[in-house]
Amino acid sequence: MSTMNCQNCQDSLILFIDNEIDDSAEFNEIAFHLQGCELCRERMELERRTISLIRALLTRSCCETAPETLQERIAHQIHELESAQIAGFTQTEIITQYRRTEITIDGETQIEIETSREIRRDFPF
Amino acid sequence: MPTELSTPDASNTGALVRVDREKESAAERTKRFERDALQYMNQLYAAALRYTRNPDDAQDLVQDTYAKAYTSFHQFEPGTNLKAWLYRVLTTTFINTYRKDQRRPQSADGEIEDWQLADAANHTSDQGKSTEDVVLENLPDSDIKRALAEIPEEFRMAVYLADVEGFSYKEIADIVGVPTGTVMSRLHRGRKQLREKLTEYAKELGYVKGGAKS
Repeated sequence: MSTMNCQNCQDSLILFIDNEIDDSAEFNEIAFHLQGCELCRERMELERRTISLIRALLTRSCCETAPETLQERIAHQIHELESAQIAGFTQTEIITQYRRTEITIDGETQIEIETSREIRRDFPF
Repeated sequence: MPTELSTPDASNTGALVRVDREKESAAERTKRFERDALQYMNQLYAAALRYTRNPDDAQDLVQDTYAKAYTSFHQFEPGTNLKAWLYRVLTTTFINTYRKDQRRPQSADGEIEDWQLADAANHTSDQGKSTEDVVLENLPDSDIKRALAEIPEEFRMAVYLADVEGFSYKEIADIVGVPTGTVMSRLHRGRKQLREKLTEYAKELGYVKGGAKS
């Protein structure tokens, strides 16, 4: 039932490189085809190099650390949420931000941004 | 090989320590959450920067993510993949909240000055790699981030989740809420576009033949 030809092989090349072929028989068929077919092997190597390059570049560049203020905000928030849970309810603070535009008679435009806070408490059932 | 739920945390979170979520007190749950979930903050922040392309929104998004994760932490099945679960919360929060009201202006270009600029031109080339690969490797981090920021959001997410976070197609499908076939095509197209952008930047900088410098 080996139907692996260049077309089938190339269709599965990305899956093969990404380690996404779960069927071991199919995996072996591709590996076997690649051993014997220089053209497919070259394509595979090219794709693999591109993917490795992208991975290396992104991993190198996208490694920011969370600012300390964010860490503090989150730690504080967890304690607030925990206190709310101990008090017997879960509390969600809803912040609604909306924009109101007022236009004065003389044509001057004034924009005000207003924020409202609402604390919603869900009692346990 | 199928690698479902095989990240490192599967072996040390809950799999060995049985957690009785029914009897767990709020303080115990908080402790467990702080121990297991907060370690992903830097990774979630880096991902949030890719999603929102704006440091202020990224911080808000991570904070919202942790709030939601904390309040629904009792629903998380200990021993399963916590990192993937947190990414799902992050991604869902982004899609439902931040994408709907992009209330702040996006500033993908404005952030570049803060980013480290590598000395791209002075690297020596490695043996066995194509010249273009070597050139792309030497692009500054700011160009890599800019290229990623400029490809469409769906592609950007797929590429980031697969190639930086190492999630499988199935995990990405769960995180983003689309079929695995869609993940595959987004990933493929995303990588292709990213590569094209990078080559374009290299040309603009005159590092690749056919570029502005002659």
